[in-house]
Amino acid sequence: MKRFRIGGFLSVVLTLLVVYALVKWGIPAVSREVTTLPFPLPVPGTLMFFYMVLTIVALFMFVTFSEEGLTDFLRPVKKFLRGGYGKIPRAAILLAVPAVIGWQVYEIVVPKVEVPSSLRIQHPSSNFPKSFEAKENPFSKPTEAQVDAFIAQAEDNEIDLIPQVREDVELWMEEMDPDHMLEFFAVEPVKKFLAQLEAGEVDKETARAALMEKTLFEGRALYAMNCRACHGDSVAGDGPMADGFKLRPLNFTDNGTIETIVVGYTFWRVTNGGPGLPTEATPWDSAMPEWKLSLTEEERWKIILAEYDLAQKTPRIPESH
Amino acid sequence: MRTNHIILAAVMAALAAAWFSIPAMAASKPSKPMPEATEEFVEKGRAIYFRRCSFCHGLLGDGEGPAAKYLDPRPRDFTLGTFKFRTTKSGELPTDEDLFRTVSRGLSGTAMQSFDSDLIKSGLGESDRWAVIAYIKTFAQEFDDPEYDPVKTGKVISLPAKRAPYNAETIAKGEAVFEKAKCWSCHGKLGRGDGNKEFRKDDWGFPIRIRNVTHPWKIKAGAEVEDIYMRFTTGISGTPMPSFVKTLNEEDRWNLASYIKSLQHQLTGHQALKAAPVQGALPESPDDAAWDAAEPMDIRLAGQVVAPPRWQNPSVEMVTLQALFNDEDIAFRLTWDDPFKDVVHDESQEFNPNEVSKVGAFNSYVEANGMVPRALETFRDSIALQFPVKPPKGTKKPHFYRGSSSDQVHLWVWKADRDEVGERGTEEGNARGWKQPIKAQAEDGQQIAGKAKWDQGRWTVVMKRPLRTGDKNDVQFEKGVFTPMSVNAWDGSNGEHGLIMSLSTWYYVFLEAPTPMSVYAYAALAFLIAGGLGFWLMRKAEKEEEPVEASA
Repeated sequence: MKRFRIGGFLSVVLTLLVVYALVKWGIPAVSREVTTLPFPLPVPGTLMFFYMVLTIVALFMFVTFSEEGLTDFLRPVKKFLRGGYGKIPRAAILLAVPAVIGWQVYEIVVPKVEVPSSLRIQHPSSNFPKSFEAKENPFSKPTEAQVDAFIAQAEDNEIDLIPQVREDVELWMEEMDPDHMLEFFAVEPVKKFLAQLEAGEVDKETARAALMEKTLFEGRALYAMNCRACHGDSVAGDGPMADGFKLRPLNFTDNGTIETIVVGYTFWRVTNGGPGLPTEATPWDSAMPEWKLSLTEEERWKIILAEYDLAQKTPRIPESH
Repeated sequence: MRTNHIILAAVMAALAAAWFSIPAMAASKPSKPMPEATEEFVEKGRAIYFRRCSFCHGLLGDGEGPAAKYLDPRPRDFTLGTFKFRTTKSGELPTDEDLFRTVSRGLSGTAMQSFDSDLIKSGLGESDRWAVIAYIKTFAQEFDDPEYDPVKTGKVISLPAKRAPYNAETIAKGEAVFEKAKCWSCHGKLGRGDGNKEFRKDDWGFPIRIRNVTHPWKIKAGAEVEDIYMRFTTGISGTPMPSFVKTLNEEDRWNLASYIKSLQHQLTGHQALKAAPVQGALPESPDDAAWDAAEPMDIRLAGQVVAPPRWQNPSVEMVTLQALFNDEDIAFRLTWDDPFKDVVHDESQEFNPNEVSKVGAFNSYVEANGMVPRALETFRDSIALQFPVKPPKGTKKPHFYRGSSSDQVHLWVWKADRDEVGERGTEEGNARGWKQPIKAQAEDGQQIAGKAKWDQGRWTVVMKRPLRTGDKNDVQFEKGVFTPMSVNAWDGSNGEHGLIMSLSTWYYVFLEAPTPMSVYAYAALAFLIAGGLGFWLMRKAEKEEEPVEASA
C-alpha cells in the first residue's frame, strides 16, 4: 500500500490554518465548557499574534533544517511561478496578493474617525483643600450636650425635626394619636429609648443611639428628596434620571467609591459638585450639583450620614489619625 | 464507587447550571410563597418600610412621604387597596406574587426602583421583601377580608400555556387588532400616546400621561410580550386603561402584544453624529427625501436636576438627530415625540424660581403638580442645540449645563410659538452658565433657517446655518473635527419653560473630511511593490532550469 504524502508546502499551509483555527475558535469553545459561562472568553489579538509568529518561526526552522526540506517546500511554489498549475491561476494570484497588501496599507493609513476619549480620574485630589481632609461629620458622634438636649426634648415630647419630614410625621400623629411622637421609629434603639423614658431611667448610650436614628431618618428623607433622582433608591447610581447622563451617577454600593475616601472628601464633593472638579476629572461632563447653593451644611452632613448607612459602608479614616 | 462519582458530578453540574440561571428569574418570582404574616414578621416589615419606603409612600402608607409631591407618577397610596399592576381581574386586589414582582423589579421609568438584592447590592433579600409586603398589606383593610382574596375567589389570571409566537404574522394580525379595538383613540395611530386631544385624569385626580408605547424604558410593569399581554388582560386599575378580557379573545391579545412589542424603539448606540456630505443645496423642510441619507443618532435626556429649579419629571427623554452638510452650510434635523402641539406661551404664568433657589430652601425641586401649570395652552414646546463657542482643546469643554462664566456656549433655540406665527423659529443666543438667561444675539447675527412640523405626536425641526460665520460668539464647523453638541428640550404642556426642562450631556457632531490623496498613493505604491516582486520572482523561476521531477 502506497503511503499518501502531502508535500512540504501544503503541510506548512495546513499547520498555519490549524493553529489559527485552534486559537480563533478552539480556545473560545473550550473556555465555554470550562467556565460554563453563557459566553466565550475573549482571545486577545496579541495572543493570536504571538501564536502565529511562534508557529511561523517553528515552521521556518522545520523547512530550512535540511536542503531536501527546503527543496520540497519550494517545489510547488516554483512550479506555480513557472505556470505549472496554469497561467490564469498564476495571473490571478499574482494580482490578488498585491491587491490585498495594497488594501491593508490603505486600512492602516486612512484617517480613523474615533470619538475623542478622555481618561477620567474619579477621585481627583489636585485641588482637594487640605482643610477638608480631617473634617468629621458633626452628626456621627453626638456630644454629651446634644444627647442631653435630645433627652430633654423627648421628655417634653417635642422632638426637633427638620421641616421636610415634619409634615408627614404630623399626619401620622393626627391619625395614630400616639403616646409619644417617636413611636413611628420602627427601630430597636428608639423602642428601647422610649421604654426607658417611660420607666424614667434613661441611659445616655441608648439616648445617643436613638439620636443617631433620628439624624439618619432626616438624612434619608433629604436623600430621597435631593439625591434619589440620580443615585437611586438603593444608592446604586441607577435613579430615574441616570440614563440621561453619559457620565452615570456614582454607585455607592460599589467597592472603591465612598468607602475609599475620607468623609471630608465626600463632603467636599457634595459641596462643590461637578464644577468644583479639576480638569483631570472632566468637570464639564459631571451632572453633580454644587449643593452648597441649595443645601445647608447640616443638611449635607445628614445626607452623607444616611448615604453611608444605606450603602452599608464606612468612610476611610484620615491618615493623620 | 465510580458510578457515585459520576452522579455526584452530574448533580454538581446541574446545580451550577441552576445557579447561573437564577439571576434571570430572581427579579420577578419568589422561590417560596409568602411566609405567614406573624406579628413578628410584620414588625420586621415595618422596620424595613420605615427605612426604605416611607420617604415616598409616607409613614401612614398614604403616598404622602416627603419626596412624594415632587414625583409624577405619585407614589402609590396603599390605604386605598387599588393597585395598578396585577395578574388579577379588573378591580381586584393583587396577589402576593404581584406585589413581590413590583417590589423586586420596580416600575420602569418611575421613582419605584428594583429592590432585589440579587440585582442591587443594598437591595432587600427575599425574606425582607416578603416582610415589607406583609406590612404594606396592613394599610388596606381589604387584604384582611377573605371575600376579596383574589386567589381564594378565583380571580387570578395566569399566562396561558400555549402562546402565539412573536413573528411577522402575529405582528400583522396584532396591528389589525390595534385598529379594531381602537387602541389608537388614546395611544395614537403610531402608538406615541397622542390620541387624546386633552389631558385625562386618574382616579386620584392627577393628570394622566397616555403611554407612548414606542419607548420601552417607560413601560412600567415590563416591556416584554408577556407583560404587555397581562396589561390588556387585567387593565390598569385607577386609570382609563381598561381590561380587554371581555372584548378581545386570548389570541387577539397575544397578537396585539406582539404588535406593541414591535413598535418599541431600539436606541442607536453611538456618541458622534456623522453629518452626511451632500451635493447641492441642503433641505430646509423636515420632510425632504435628502434626510434619508443622514444616519440618525438618539440622544437620551434627563430632567434638569443640576441646579434649582430642579425638575425630575421630564417629558422629552429622547431626541433623534441627523445632520447634512455641503461646502457652505450644515443642517440639523431634530425629531422627538410630544403628544401635544403647544404653540402659545403665556409669560405671566412662568414660575418664579427665587423661592426654591435659596440655600436651605424647603426643597430646590419643583413640585410635580401645583407649582407650575401642566396644562394645554400655557407654555410653548421648544428645543435647543448647544455648542461650545471656543473650539475644544483636547477633550476640554464648557460645562454641559450652559457653560460657565469663563467658557461660553452657543445655543440655537427653536420656539414653537414663533414658528407657528411665521416668525423665524430658531434664535441664536449665548450663555455663560445657567444663572443668567440665554442672551439672544443681535438681529444681524441671526443666520438660522429651517422649518418645523408636528404630526402624530412627533415634532420634526430643521436648523440650517453656514458652516462658518464671521461672528466670534458663534460655533464654527470644520471638516474632520469633532464638535461637542448637546440638547435642551421643553414640553410646554408638561409645565416646562426656563430651567424647568430636560437636557443631555455632551455628544459630538462630525463632518467627514475627504480622504487625503496620500492615502491612495501609499496603497498604490504597496500594490506596485508587491506586484513587482511577484513578477520578478515569476521571471526568475521561469529562467531557472526545469528540475528533474522526483519520480522515484
